[in-house]
Amino acid sequence: MKQRHLIILVFLLSWAGMPSLAQDDVFRVAALMPSAINDLAFSQSMYDGLVAVQDELGEDAFQFDVQDSTYIVDDAAVALRDWAASGEYQLVIAHGSQYGPIVEELATEFLDVSFAWGTRQDTFGLDNVYSYAAASDEGGYFNGVLAAHLTESRVIGLVGPIEVGDGKLYADGFANGVASVDPDIDVNIVFIGSFSDVPLATEAAETHIANGADILTGTAQMVVGPIASALENDVLWFGSDSSQDELSGDIGVAFQIYKWDVLLLDMISKIDEGILGGEYYVLTLENEGLVMEFDKDFEISDELMAVAEETIAGIVSGDIMPIPAMDDDMAAESEDEDDGEDSED
Amino acid sequence: MIVALVLALLVASVLLLALNANPLEAYAAMWEGAAGKENATAETLVKATPILFVGIGITIAFRGGMINIGGEGQMIAGALAGVTIALILGEMRVPPELAKEKGAFDLIIVTCSLVGGFLAGALYGGLAGFLKAYFDVNEILSTIMLNQIAVQMMNFLLNGILLDPAEAGINNIPKTARLVTAAQLPRLSLPIGDPHLFARTRLHWGLIIAIVLAVIIYIFLWRTSLGYRIRAVGENQRASSYAGINVKRQMMFSMFLAGGFAGLAGVVQVLGLQYRLQTDGSPAGFTGAAGFNGIVAALFGGLNPIGAIPAAAFFGGLLVGAQKMQRELGVPASLITAVNGLIVVFVVSSEIFILQRSKRRVSLQETPDNLGSSGGKPADRASPDEGSG
Repeated sequence: MKQRHLIILVFLLSWAGMPSLAQDDVFRVAALMPSAINDLAFSQSMYDGLVAVQDELGEDAFQFDVQDSTYIVDDAAVALRDWAASGEYQLVIAHGSQYGPIVEELATEFLDVSFAWGTRQDTFGLDNVYSYAAASDEGGYFNGVLAAHLTESRVIGLVGPIEVGDGKLYADGFANGVASVDPDIDVNIVFIGSFSDVPLATEAAETHIANGADILTGTAQMVVGPIASALENDVLWFGSDSSQDELSGDIGVAFQIYKWDVLLLDMISKIDEGILGGEYYVLTLENEGLVMEFDKDFEISDELMAVAEETIAGIVSGDIMPIPAMDDDMAAESEDEDDGEDSED
Repeated sequence: MIVALVLALLVASVLLLALNANPLEAYAAMWEGAAGKENATAETLVKATPILFVGIGITIAFRGGMINIGGEGQMIAGALAGVTIALILGEMRVPPELAKEKGAFDLIIVTCSLVGGFLAGALYGGLAGFLKAYFDVNEILSTIMLNQIAVQMMNFLLNGILLDPAEAGINNIPKTARLVTAAQLPRLSLPIGDPHLFARTRLHWGLIIAIVLAVIIYIFLWRTSLGYRIRAVGENQRASSYAGINVKRQMMFSMFLAGGFAGLAGVVQVLGLQYRLQTDGSPAGFTGAAGFNGIVAALFGGLNPIGAIPAAAFFGGLLVGAQKMQRELGVPASLITAVNGLIVVFVVSSEIFILQRSKRRVSLQETPDNLGSSGGKPADRASPDEGSG
């Protein structure tokens, strides 16, 4: 009996060891994503970004591990804690605004690990947290301008997830872009209340089409449903987050692509310098973190191309404000940041 | 049971091989993720806690002849009530400067929240019981539909009056404000080693509450007259009615208790783990599908509250370990879902097979002579379950 107790005790004590530390010079990143890495949307954009960083730095210098399809917040906590406690990763990324509270908790516990999360401009005032966001209103505005030029029915449908973060920014920018061309065009916006409910997003898209929409757009990982509806009904599609070229066939027009590698490379160099966090990044057209790409099958006219180039130039120069009140809001939010140390990339 | 588990793992191995993943490496990773380290074991137990709460409730409902598929909705109802009480009492009883004070604990806030969560879940579950007992509304359908209502109610409230004031007008992420420290269930550690075992993990006192309640419910079901009445109704409603038992009341009561335990699962997730109620718009975003996993754990545990304890731990380990498998082998997340599903199907199928076989044996033994000698009382039919579930 005593032997059994001793074995159990040894077994329990064996767990209590300190986490092992990576011994080589390889920069290791662990990234958690809410949907599949091939979702043609939010998660794929980060995965593509990590692959791009690896291409840039080489496999000998940069490696990454991913857990995808983790839309349950509680499951995310398991993975993030496991990575942070392992001591094997210099940077742990929680790619989803819903993961913020977990990051805040873990970052206060694992002070020597750098965390990054988004999309949100909030580092919780912690020196080992980076946050990031995308000025998706810029791409939304661009898509809106083009959509306004292409619509014949003068009805456009937008399918969004939850009315937060870059999904809401995109929707606001898109609506403003359409209105800048013709304020009388109807932009029907539906937020389905979920990032992952493909059937519901499909229903929303079908409803838009039944309501006369000849152009659809949307954000987040559930847009595969609306894209399929657009294909079936021969309705044009504007996308965001990643290129949806391979899925949208001949109905795709333009996509806003998040190039997270732009900020990841800067983060990595800062972490190498010993700066573990305390800053936030925003992807913009200006810093080339946002890239607009036309569908390969879409034949764009010279006139429309000129409009596209003019719009991008206007946004980059600041002559066009996709959301006019944005500056004030962001300034107010920045003032509310309790650490006062954040800076925009 | 073990044979079923082995069969499930063998079939899952075929899937893993089809994806060029070594099954042995996969299961080793699963084990490591579930119990290989201190934190892994803690996460398994954390995952098992809500499953156990729901499993206890499901056991009561099933024993009462009711099929409760509404664990998800009842969890949400409990969480909504519990977090609301905790937020209100936290504001009333804790000065703002002490909101984040480490080690603070207010028994009144926590107790009121737990009781509130239990009652909210109980009323939500009891509603389905009421509809079944008095209007013969199929409880499977009503509980599934009530799940959807609860989700939409949660989304509505978390985007409205329960929205974290810090989020309002800025990001509008649907979540409540964080609870004050005094309203949180303390973390749990064992006085082994230095630092103490589980001291640096998320394990919390909700597990102990769940285990204690499992024992209490076992005693309630098998050692009290009220529990006996519930089981008698579950075994044979007509015989119970002849014996003078108010069948409708017992049906409602079993669903009331089942909902209450699911409600407790919800509020314990908030008080012990997340410290706020947050959603991504889907039910599982908050519950982690514990409302459904609890059903499987209850069946796996032989519809016995004590049996539900290891069953919940098993499924907790399965879910947590599967994540490690995904991270280690890079297999698609959908494969992990398939592996989990296979294990559930095989294990539950074996349970049903065993149950049917034992029923056949009982029916063979129930010759007219045997029935005559025993009187055919419902208690006799229930007797094979005595103490064993």
